[in-house]
Amino acid sequence: MITLAQLALNALSLGAAYALVALGFVLILNATGAVNFAQGDLVMAGGYLTAWFVVLLPLPGLVLLPLAMVATALLGLAALALAYFPLMRRPPSTVFVSTIAIGLILQNGAVRLFGPEPRVTPPVLGGGEVHWAGLTLSRQSISLIVVAAVLILGQRWLLARTRLGRQMRATAEDRTMAAALGIPVRAMIALTFALAAALAGAGGMLLGNQFFVTPTEGSALILKAYVAVVIGGWGSLEGAVAGALLVAAFETIVAALVSYTAAIALLYGVLVAILLLRPEGLFGEAAGRRA
Amino acid sequence: MNAPRGVALLGAASLIIYAVGFASAYELRVLTFAGCQVLMVLGYQLIFGHAGALSLAQGAFFGLGAYVTAILGARYGAGFAASFPLSILLPVALAALIAVPVLRLASHYFALATLGLAQVVLLAFVNGGTWTGGALGIPGLPGVSIFGWTVARGLPLLSLVWAVVAFGAFLSGRMTNGITGLAFTMLRENPLAASAIGIDGARLRFSAFLLSAGYGGAAGALEAHTAGVVSPEALGFNQLVTCLAMTVIGGSTRVAGAFLGALLLTYLPERLRFLEGQALLAYGAALLAAVILAPEGLAGLLARLWAKLEPVVRKDQVRPSPLILPPLGTREPLLEVRALARRFGGIEAIAGVDLTLASGEILGLIGPNGSGKTTLANLVTGLTKPDRGVIRFQGRRIDDLGAFEIARLGIARTFQTSALPAEVMVLAAVAVARASEARVLGTAAVLHARDRGAHRRKLDAEAMGLLERLGAGAVALRPCGDLPPGLARRVEIARALALRPSLLILDEPAAGLAESEHTNLADTLRSLAAEGLALIVIEHNMPFLLGLAGRVLALDAGRVIATGTPAEIRRDPRVMASYLGSAAA
Repeated sequence: MITLAQLALNALSLGAAYALVALGFVLILNATGAVNFAQGDLVMAGGYLTAWFVVLLPLPGLVLLPLAMVATALLGLAALALAYFPLMRRPPSTVFVSTIAIGLILQNGAVRLFGPEPRVTPPVLGGGEVHWAGLTLSRQSISLIVVAAVLILGQRWLLARTRLGRQMRATAEDRTMAAALGIPVRAMIALTFALAAALAGAGGMLLGNQFFVTPTEGSALILKAYVAVVIGGWGSLEGAVAGALLVAAFETIVAALVSYTAAIALLYGVLVAILLLRPEGLFGEAAGRRA
Repeated sequence: MNAPRGVALLGAASLIIYAVGFASAYELRVLTFAGCQVLMVLGYQLIFGHAGALSLAQGAFFGLGAYVTAILGARYGAGFAASFPLSILLPVALAALIAVPVLRLASHYFALATLGLAQVVLLAFVNGGTWTGGALGIPGLPGVSIFGWTVARGLPLLSLVWAVVAFGAFLSGRMTNGITGLAFTMLRENPLAASAIGIDGARLRFSAFLLSAGYGGAAGALEAHTAGVVSPEALGFNQLVTCLAMTVIGGSTRVAGAFLGALLLTYLPERLRFLEGQALLAYGAALLAAVILAPEGLAGLLARLWAKLEPVVRKDQVRPSPLILPPLGTREPLLEVRALARRFGGIEAIAGVDLTLASGEILGLIGPNGSGKTTLANLVTGLTKPDRGVIRFQGRRIDDLGAFEIARLGIARTFQTSALPAEVMVLAAVAVARASEARVLGTAAVLHARDRGAHRRKLDAEAMGLLERLGAGAVALRPCGDLPPGLARRVEIARALALRPSLLILDEPAAGLAESEHTNLADTLRSLAAEGLALIVIEHNMPFLLGLAGRVLALDAGRVIATGTPAEIRRDPRVMASYLGSAAA
C-alpha cells in the first residue's frame, strides 16, 4: 500500500515535470509551426543554471526557480534569434535542423562549462519526508507537483484570460491575419518562445533534484515530450499535459515491475504503434499538419 | 572533358599523392576514417537531400553495420566476404521494416519517429549483455580478410575503403544526376504536382531510405575494421549529428558535397588546435551558420560559381521531335463519373455529381468560388479520394488508384497556381514528365542506364517538340522561376502533355494572362482537341470559356445545377442567379 502510494506520487511528480517540457514544445509548435528540437536541451540548461546558482547563492529552490526560468527564457530568446527568425520563410524542417544545431551547442557548451559529471539541483523546499495518514511521502515530490501545477495553471490563465494571451493565440492560429489586425507578430512569437523556454527551465530545475542533470539528457527528454504530444494530439495544450502524465505513469510502473530500459523501449514501441494506427493522436489533432 | 569532372579527377589525384607519398601512419588512419564518413554522408544525402525527409536514423544504420561486422568478425571469425554484405543487408532490412509506417508521416513526425527507432537500437545494443559487449562494446576486431587474403591496416585498408567510396559515389551520381534526380527535385518542391506528372513519390522515398541505410551500414562496417573496436558511440546521437553537419555544410544534393563536408569536418578539428575536444561544439556552430547562410552547402556555392563561368548546353543542341498523342480512345465514353461525393468536415464539397466526356470534347466547368470545381478535378485525378461514387476512365475504375497511377493511365492536369520548380530548367521540367511514361524513372532504370545517353536525348527532344508547339521553345533553357505567368502556363500545359494524356484538366488556364494571349491559348487548346484529346477547363473568365467549350457544366454548392451548350448556359436562369448574374451584368 505504502509503496503503491509512493509509486503513484512518483509518477505524478515525474509527469508534472514532463508536462512542463511538453507544454513548451507545443507552445512553440503552435506559434511557429516548427519543432524546436533544442527544447530538451533547454531543460538541461535550466538544471545546470540552477545547480550553478545554488553555489553562488545558497537559497532554497523556490527562490532560485524564478531566476532559473528567467535565465532559460533568455537562452530561449537567443535560440529564437539565431535559429528561427532568419529562417521564417523556409520550410519547417529547416528550423528542425537549425534547432538541432542549437541543441548541439547547448549540450557541448554545458560539457565545457560544467564538465561531464552529473549535477544535482536543490530541492524546492528542502528534502526529507512527510508522514501523513500512515504514509511516508517525499517532500520534494509533493512540492514539485504543487509548483508544476501552479505554473501550468498560470500558463493557462495567461493564454485564456489576458489580452496578451489572446494576442499570442491569435498569432499562433493565423499569423497573417494577426498581423493584419495590428498584433506585433514577432514580439508575440518571441514571448511564446520565452514562455516555453522558461517552462523548460523550470522542468530542468524540478527534475534535476531526483534525477540529476547530465549534458546529454536533452535528446531523451525531447523524445518523451514528443511521445506525450503525439499521444495527446499534435498541437493540443491540454493533450500535452495528459500525454506527459501518461508517459510518466507508464515509465514509473514498467520500471518498477521490469526495468527502466524496458520502460523506455516499450514507450517507443507504443509511439510507433500510435503513429501507425492513429496518426492524429489518441485525442485527435488540434493543429493541422503544418509541416 | 567538362570542368567539374576535371576538378574531381584533380582532387582524387591529389588525395592519392598525399596518401601514398606524404601521409604518416596516423594520417593514413584519419584519411581512412574520413572515407567511411564520406560513404555515410553519400547515403544520407539520398534520404535527406534528395527525398527531402529528415531521417534521424542514419547513426543507427551506421552503428548497426559496425556491430554486425564486429560480432561476426570477433565472435564467429567471419571474413569480410560474409560480414560486409550482411552489414549492409541488416540495416536495409530494418529500414524496410519501419519504412511502411514511418515514410507516410509528415516531416517532423518522420524525424522524431526515426529518432525513436535510433534510440531503441541504441538501448538494445547497450543492454545486449555479453553478446554486444554492453556499454563497453566489442574490442579486438580482426582486420579485413577476403577469402584468406589479409588486407593490412594502413595503405591497403585505405585503398579498400576509398575504392568502396568511389563505387558508392559513382552509383549515387548515376542516380541523382539523371532524370531520377530531377524526379526527386519535383517531389521535394511540390509532392502533389509531382504525383500529377506520374511520379510515384512513395516508391522514390522508399528506395532512398533503403539506400541510405545500405550506405550507412557499409560505412559502419568499414569504420569498425579501421578502428578495430566498436562501442555504442557508433550508434549514438553524436554520430547522427556529425553526419547531418557534414551533409548540410558540404551540400545535401551533390556528390561533391559529401566529399567536401566529410573531409572538411574530419580535418578541421585535427588541424585547428583550439578545437581540440570541442569538435561537436564547432560542428553545431558550423551547422547553424550553413543552414542560415549557405543552404545549398559548399558544393552548391561552387556550382553557382561554376554556372557563372561556364554556361550550360546551347539550345541548338536539342533538336525538337514531335510527340504523337495516343490514338483516339477505343472505349467511349472516355470519362464517366457517377454519384460522386466528398465531404470536408461538415461541408459537402461535391454532393452527387454525374458527368460523361467523350474524346475530343472540350467541357467547361463553371461555378462560384467554393462550388467544388477544383475538388472535382482533384477527385478525378486522384489527389483526393471520394467518399462515395464511381469514376471510370476508358471503362476502367480509377477511384481507388493513386494520383501517379491515374496520371500514368492518361489523365493530366495543371494547377491554379504555378507548380513548376523554380530552380529547374524548363526543358528538364518537361522532360521529367516524359520519364514516367517512357519508363526510365527509378533505381531500376538507373541501374540499367535507361535514363542516360540516347534515352535522355530522346526525352529532351520530345520535350522540346512540345515546348515549340506551345510557343515556349525559346525559353527551354531558362529556369522555370524566371518565366512570366503567360509562358509559365504554356510550359505547364506542355508538361502535362508530356504524359501523352487522353484527358487534360486545366484549372484556370487563363488566369493571369493578358487579353491578347487568350485567343492564342484557345487556338492551341482547340487544335489539341481536334487531335482527339478531351479537355476539362475550369475557368472564371466567361468570354474565354464560352468561346472555347463545346459543352458547359455549372456547379453550385457541390451539385450540377445546369449543363448544356454555351448558348444554353448563357440563358439558364439558375446559372444567371448563382453565377453569371454578377459576372455578366
